[in-house]
Amino acid sequence: MIFAGIDIGSLTAKAVLLRHGKVIASHFEPVKATSLASADHVMGRVLAQAGLRIEEISLTCSTGYGRLEIPFADCNRSEVSCHGLGTFFSNKSVRTIIDIGGQDCKVVVIDSHGMVEDFVMNDKCAAGTGRSLEILARTLGVELADLGRFALRSRRPLPVSNKCSIFMELDVMQLLYQGKRRENIAHGITVSIARRIASLTGKVTLQKGICISGGVSKNAAVVRDIEQAIGVTFTPLAHDPQLMGALGAACFAEKEYRRRMEGGKS
Amino acid sequence: MTIFNEIRQLAQSTSNDYLTRARHRGHPTVGYFCSYVPEEMIHAAGAVPYRMRAVGSEGTSLGDTYFSSANCSFVRRVLDKGLRGDFDFLDGIVFMNGCDHNRRLFDNWSYAHPDTGFNYMLFVPHGRSEACLAQYGNELAKLGRFLEERFDTELTAEKLWNSVALYNRKRALLQEIADSRRSAVVPISGTEFLSLMLAVSVVPVEDAIALLEQALAEIRAGRIHTEQAVLRLFVTGSCLEELSHLELLESAGGVVVADAICLGARYFERPVQVGRDPLAALGERYLRNLSCPRMMDDVAGRIAHVRERVSDFGADAVILEKLEFCSMMSGESYISSHELRKFDIPSITLTRELYGGGVGQLKTRIQAFYEKVINRS
Ligand code: SF4
Repeated sequence: MIFAGIDIGSLTAKAVLLRHGKVIASHFEPVKATSLASADHVMGRVLAQAGLRIEEISLTCSTGYGRLEIPFADCNRSEVSCHGLGTFFSNKSVRTIIDIGGQDCKVVVIDSHGMVEDFVMNDKCAAGTGRSLEILARTLGVELADLGRFALRSRRPLPVSNKCSIFMELDVMQLLYQGKRRENIAHGITVSIARRIASLTGKVTLQKGICISGGVSKNAAVVRDIEQAIGVTFTPLAHDPQLMGALGAACFAEKEYRRRMEGGKS
Repeated sequence: MTIFNEIRQLAQSTSNDYLTRARHRGHPTVGYFCSYVPEEMIHAAGAVPYRMRAVGSEGTSLGDTYFSSANCSFVRRVLDKGLRGDFDFLDGIVFMNGCDHNRRLFDNWSYAHPDTGFNYMLFVPHGRSEACLAQYGNELAKLGRFLEERFDTELTAEKLWNSVALYNRKRALLQEIADSRRSAVVPISGTEFLSLMLAVSVVPVEDAIALLEQALAEIRAGRIHTEQAVLRLFVTGSCLEELSHLELLESAGGVVVADAICLGARYFERPVQVGRDPLAALGERYLRNLSCPRMMDDVAGRIAHVRERVSDFGADAVILEKLEFCSMMSGESYISSHELRKFDIPSITLTRELYGGGVGQLKTRIQAFYEKVINRS
């Protein structure tokens, strides 16, 4: 039996196929104009990877901001629950997840079954999210992928506000104008984002076995600075950390399938 | 058309035919803010009390010329409506120092003076002690003298007791409707109940009673709120009037079965005790009724009330509603969530702008919270 999880986020669409508790296909790509177009396309890619047809999927679960707009999804779960279960699937020792996505960050505490015990999300402000990193990289004149590399070369982070993306951008512009080294500004940005995330983690009781997921988790400098800010070493994951939402959705698809087979209400 | 259709229409309109008809019969309309203004006094003076709200608000651009963006969206939207002329049918407004934002609303309203008649500020103490009660009594007497002069009438004990009887009847009907949600099959959703509250707080009390009697008859006849409730919710917090917001909560699978909001239990719980002195009876009831976060000396009482109602109504979780920049709920929601956690009652604080956007993120929070609560069971 094959189960599909689709995560339509604000910047990327992801899909995962599960068979017998193993990931048999996965893919992520930038979102398209609509959630449906993104879902269609990313699903097409994983099906092609696995050499399957959509009819062969037993059940599909959607998550992410576009979760309610996917007609072929049989159920949906919030991205909070999906990140919880996805990371738990990837490493059973995980109990706390720091997820930094395109436009939100969340801290999720899970129990020994991967179910959410507590969570906190950022407010409407995008500071500290993937989108703000993208904007700051552009202001700094570097590719997003290079921002982390730049920051890792610095030992002297320059002060950058952690209050709001606009103030962060103004600080970066001012530092550039003052002729400061871009490496140190980049480092200032990653430290500032780390402080922002650290303040979010203070709102829940962190449980040992902390991991990081989401697109920003691929930025080595941000990861290093968050580890320093909250004083932990992140637990590694067996799968791409950007796929945790989709992976969790696929796990929920399997759970939902079993529940329906057992005669539970839908 | 069921009575709930008419109620919904009333809830979504700023003014209504009931008010127009009352005006033609010689009863002016007097707006008031907050649950600490005794409507009975306005009614006994021959006017129709009208609970101020931002229903139908078109934005805050005019309100923002007087308020800063660090003021809550309730006061910004209400003033905006006032400046657009939406409340020109009013003959006066009784303001109240519910919070500093509301206090400032009075200043701005007085300064901008839209065509809404008189502006009166009722100062209500921020506590429930004997000294506070005595001071509140003085303020009510002062309000009484103002209304007598303004409407060229006398607030006799007979008139006041007559008004008390009508408002007690209205409270009793609302209480019975609210209590119907104790049962497992919930006859009326939280959104419908809020519509009812919005409607009956802007029509003459006599018409409100008639509407409530019809609503209650429908409920007694076996009305069922059809949506299947995954979770039973208790809602508390500061200014909350958006039907769309409760719809968001309920469309995700919850049903609001009880509350402690101004347009809810805080309005109708506990009747005025009939006795010797009507102003003393009103003072006792209004100052010492189920309190709101502005009453600094009753945090423990509010928490105890939430716990009691959660247990009585079989609620699974508590939603703490807060408007961005609401000074009253900032501390309250923090304390409440910590206290409720001690009693193993799950809660979430939802911060929003009145009639604001951000629905996507709110939906995610709500769904994630429901999933978290369901995981516990
Ligand atoms: S929402 Fe809060 S700050 Fe605004 S008027 Fe109500 S109590 Fe005052």
